[in-house]
Amino acid sequence: MSELVNLEVNGTTYPVQIALDRNLSGVLRDEVGLTGTKEGCDDCECGACMVLLDGQPINSCSYLAAQAQGRSITTVEGLAEGDELHPLQRNILATGGVQCGFCTPGMLMSAQALLDRNPDPTDEEIRIGLSGNLCRCTGYARILAAVQATAVELNSTSSS
Amino acid sequence: MTVTELPPFVRADGPDKVSGSGRYTADLTLTGMLHAAFRYPDVAHGRITRIDTSAAEAMPGVLAVMTDADVPDVHYTWAVADRTLFARDIVRFEGEVIAAVAAISPEIAKAAAAAIEVDIEPLPVVNDIEEALAEGAPLVHEDWASHTADDGIIRDGNLAIYSALQRGDADAAMASAATVVSSRYVADASHAAPIEPRAIVAQWEGEKVTIWTSTQVPYDARDGVCETLQLPASQVRIIVPHLGGGFGGKCGFHFEAHIAALARKAKRPVKLVFSRWEEFVAPDRRREGMIVELTTGLDADGRIVARKGWVGIDNGAYMADCAFFPQLAAMHVAGPYNIDHLSIDAKLAYTNHQPSGSVRAPTAPQGCWALESHTDELAAAAGLSPVEFRRRNLVDTGTTGPMGQTFDEIGALRVLEAAHAAAEGSGPLAENEALGLAVGWWPSFAVPAGAYAKMHGDGSVQLITGAQECGTGAVMTLRYLAAEELGIDVEKIQLVYQDTGAAPFGPGATGSQTLLNHGRAVETATRDIAEQLRELAAEQLEAAPGDIVLADGVASVAGTPTASIAIDELAGIAAGGNLLISSGTADVPEYPTLEGSHCVGDQGMAAWLAPQFSCHVAKVRVDRDTGVTRVLDVFAAHDNGTILNPIGAHGQVEGGILMGVGQALTEGTQYGDDGTQLNAGLLEYKLQTIADAPNIHTTFIEIPTANAGPKGSKGLAEAPNVATAAAIANGIAQVVGAHVTQLPMTAERVWDTANGTADQNGASA
Repeated sequence: MSELVNLEVNGTTYPVQIALDRNLSGVLRDEVGLTGTKEGCDDCECGACMVLLDGQPINSCSYLAAQAQGRSITTVEGLAEGDELHPLQRNILATGGVQCGFCTPGMLMSAQALLDRNPDPTDEEIRIGLSGNLCRCTGYARILAAVQATAVELNSTSSS
Repeated sequence: MTVTELPPFVRADGPDKVSGSGRYTADLTLTGMLHAAFRYPDVAHGRITRIDTSAAEAMPGVLAVMTDADVPDVHYTWAVADRTLFARDIVRFEGEVIAAVAAISPEIAKAAAAAIEVDIEPLPVVNDIEEALAEGAPLVHEDWASHTADDGIIRDGNLAIYSALQRGDADAAMASAATVVSSRYVADASHAAPIEPRAIVAQWEGEKVTIWTSTQVPYDARDGVCETLQLPASQVRIIVPHLGGGFGGKCGFHFEAHIAALARKAKRPVKLVFSRWEEFVAPDRRREGMIVELTTGLDADGRIVARKGWVGIDNGAYMADCAFFPQLAAMHVAGPYNIDHLSIDAKLAYTNHQPSGSVRAPTAPQGCWALESHTDELAAAAGLSPVEFRRRNLVDTGTTGPMGQTFDEIGALRVLEAAHAAAEGSGPLAENEALGLAVGWWPSFAVPAGAYAKMHGDGSVQLITGAQECGTGAVMTLRYLAAEELGIDVEKIQLVYQDTGAAPFGPGATGSQTLLNHGRAVETATRDIAEQLRELAAEQLEAAPGDIVLADGVASVAGTPTASIAIDELAGIAAGGNLLISSGTADVPEYPTLEGSHCVGDQGMAAWLAPQFSCHVAKVRVDRDTGVTRVLDVFAAHDNGTILNPIGAHGQVEGGILMGVGQALTEGTQYGDDGTQLNAGLLEYKLQTIADAPNIHTTFIEIPTANAGPKGSKGLAEAPNVATAAAIANGIAQVVGAHVTQLPMTAERVWDTANGTADQNGASA
């Protein structure tokens, strides 16, 4: 059974006609047309599909799209301000935290959620905040460094 | 965790990857596209007595169903042609494709695949390496003597490949040894586990097919399609969108032909996207299970006088690219040591498991783990510290390795000392903590590769390369090599890559070959353009071409910097004339020779070009109550020749080490008695998370190496994966008082070892 559902993604409302059992990651990718959100396991194990729902990180592979109606969804495509990369995006490139890039969108969304709730996280808090996102390429050191650098940058901007 | 300041490295693919705009294969959609699903057996070994596809074909939305009867009668695979696209009569592992469906939605395709009726009469399952090689074992391939095979391959029963390394007289030397130590180590199979599950899209236009696929090796994928569907290379174009990691798991030829065949039959584009379970069970690339038995004799000074060994390797049900594994594994258990008397036998055995294949440094992490655990046992027997024992026995510049290769300048001893010193200087150890040390080595692989280059009229450049970017940044680094040759800004260089329809041949992202081989091709191609620019500049500036210097976007006369012309301007002149276009190939360096040794079943793996050396020291903490091990720090020193891209190089070492931590502690495939995988999911097969990751401290011992890659570089991506598990093993052994003889060294196995309840024989395979 399909139904018209209005999804607000990155500030734009998309009316989509979808079956009610469809997951959010699939609808974002196939109906909304934003393929930045990746699918690596379909089982909440890898974190590649992480998006923000009203600011909270969720594995969109295991969340019903219809339940996201009336809520605000942020995907990796919503991080940058126009052509200006978000500091997390800029820093993860500068530190070398991107290799194959498949985990990167989910990693960025978890990092964004972490910094939103804790602007000055310790290393341990970053490790816990990103522990739901698997990366097979980097060994994580440069991802962690990117989050550290972003926290410093955002804090110095907000205090100046 | 802190990250050292390194020179900036701008990835050309970086903005795509962080913004979400980059397209991976699963992100592609074509008009009219169908979705594929495969039908697998529910047993690991059985005889197919009936396949009935009629119910599936009758389902609304199903446009094509295929089995073995629908494709050309071709057996394929390198070395031994033992495989068909679809199972024929017999299924030999749980992930074998029996049938394929194309339908208008993934859900209908899956339902139709399930609706195919398949009757299978179960056959005895060969579930273990030693069982497979035992007299009278059930055969995985009853008819396999009829398969075409390369000359010189020794095969018998379930013995797929046999190789042996011989040098001197190991028996006589062993008899003269002051001390003899014997060990047996057993490693479980493991997985590459890239985060991107593989995906393929195929579309026909007339007689030509374009296949977008998440492969590491576009040319191998093309050749596999050509061989199995009997098409000329000119009609098959492979394009790889961004690739979400591979680690060897996406090497080889996998499912491109199935999807191309479905698309041809359905007369529509078809897309396949694997589930995580399929990614675990179906590809013919997983890290092989291995048994290693070693006996080493020492003289009274703790020097190795002889080594004998036996290696058993699980090939799985079909030959993927494992033909060279026995010889390579034998080299890894011989090790980078001065040994005059050596005898190692290595056997690759067919089983009813998923086929093994090259995963990041194939055979090396397990071989190194066994060898270096054994080496610490030798050091203890000799009354020497691990580092002192290795000082006395390691190969180095001018010495001769176990197969009689005399080394040019190498950094074997220097990496040992550097990693050891870094670890020793890291502060005191707490209770139940220890530093475990291990040394690893790995060859560089040189093969032909090509590149085209063209400079446009505006001075921008396109580099057209057959190289494949799997994430390492190696392809991205090609831009820097080209910019240096041309004397222009790297931002002016655009890559055209991952398209067999555009680029000349390349080996792909396999064997750490990208910069080593494609780098030399790119240097050659761009050097040709630089030469043309010098000639043009010489005409303009009335100077000799040999006096023209290209730098900072300007061609100038050496010694007269005021006599100059912008390279962009030269490009504009050329655009109205002979055009600035070129091609380059990489001449293959000569491989070293061996003295006094003999290889049975030689696969060319005993003579190592530009060998890479590493030493890892792992600081581990073991919880003696639970057996849980934490790796706190890894101190790594590497000789990979000249480092071309420091950020990329550190990233390879860090990623390789973390993969090694996983292999050491948690990553091992468990098989049920029925030969199926028990932990084919990311919860059950645990990869390391950021919370598990140790601090990694890397030192590069840079020795510009002749007869190797650009600027004296060697390979790099696999070497960091070699020694980590071994270093962790030696740390654990120091804490618990004995070596864990099974890999991964799970909490249970560590606890059993600490408490004297371990199964010394290990589960094999």
